Amino acid sequence: MKVKSSSIISALLLISHQPFIYAAPMSFKGSTTSMSTISESYSSVESSYAITAKDSLGVKAYTSKGNGYKLKVGELVYLRRLLRVNKKHSQTNLWLFTGAGTMSLERNVQDDDHSYLSPTLQFDYETKKVYGLISHQILRVGHENFDTTKIEGGFSFYETGYNETQPWFILKAKNTNSLDNQNEYTPTLRFINKSIYGEVGLTTKGDPSLHLMYTF
Amino acid sequence: MKKSILIITLLFSLNSYALTQKIEVLGMVCAFCAQGIEKSFGSVAHVKDIFVSLENYFVAIESKDGKSIDEKQIRTIITDAGYDVQKIEVVSDSVSVIREKYEAK
Repeated sequence: MKVKSSSIISALLLISHQPFIYAAPMSFKGSTTSMSTISESYSSVESSYAITAKDSLGVKAYTSKGNGYKLKVGELVYLRRLLRVNKKHSQTNLWLFTGAGTMSLERNVQDDDHSYLSPTLQFDYETKKVYGLISHQILRVGHENFDTTKIEGGFSFYETGYNETQPWFILKAKNTNSLDNQNEYTPTLRFINKSIYGEVGLTTKGDPSLHLMYTF
Repeated sequence: MKKSILIITLLFSLNSYALTQKIEVLGMVCAFCAQGIEKSFGSVAHVKDIFVSLENYFVAIESKDGKSIDEKQIRTIITDAGYDVQKIEVVSDSVSVIREKYEAK
């Protein structure tokens, strides 16, 4: 059976991403990782503590809007690293995020509060030169479906030493049911310098976004 | 003559107290993640100096009093930071010498 490459790309992009989940907010055991994202349609702040090398607990608050919906969310997040494969030149991870919280859901003139439980499965692969991520989140609130899928991929402009800032180019694609009419693409510049992880992006619609993460 | 003996003795004594362990680490591909290793070794009491080489996939740690850090403790710290240890060896160079050698490359 012949499959056109454009069909494969379209299929991959259809299951694309949403900014509810960025890079896994977990570092070494005993560390606290805090992050924040600001954009036109989505803003968040969260902090989590790594209780073991594989588990972290955190709190998160975010607002999101699109397609006449406005969400205000507060949740507890448990993150479990299900799998990590460490090779000399690469790292591969499988993560399970579980968020439990309450959502204030506003659509047109209606405003309802709901509680929810939302799992996310994330797979990522990284070397010093390339990076890729795919994730899917299930988020059902009342009769609404806010499931989200995202795909990210990119490369580092050049290799750097441990004390230097490493720049990356990442293309992000995302789709959230109910909120997005179509896939959103965000070309992003990522900068990593030890404890600081920053991203600046601009969606194809022209909306800027800023993401910062810091580990204490 | 006495001065020379004193200097030689001092150099030998310094050398005997400097002990560096070089750890080859698997999965260490980004500085954001690797800083956990540096922070964790930095909190070990008798660690004098640490050098992380992302380019060459190793961490070097020098202890203050010539005592090597227990390999089990090293493996625990590396594992708790999310990585795996491939090899641990004792090397004669101090961390500052290793730093100069690899940062100059």
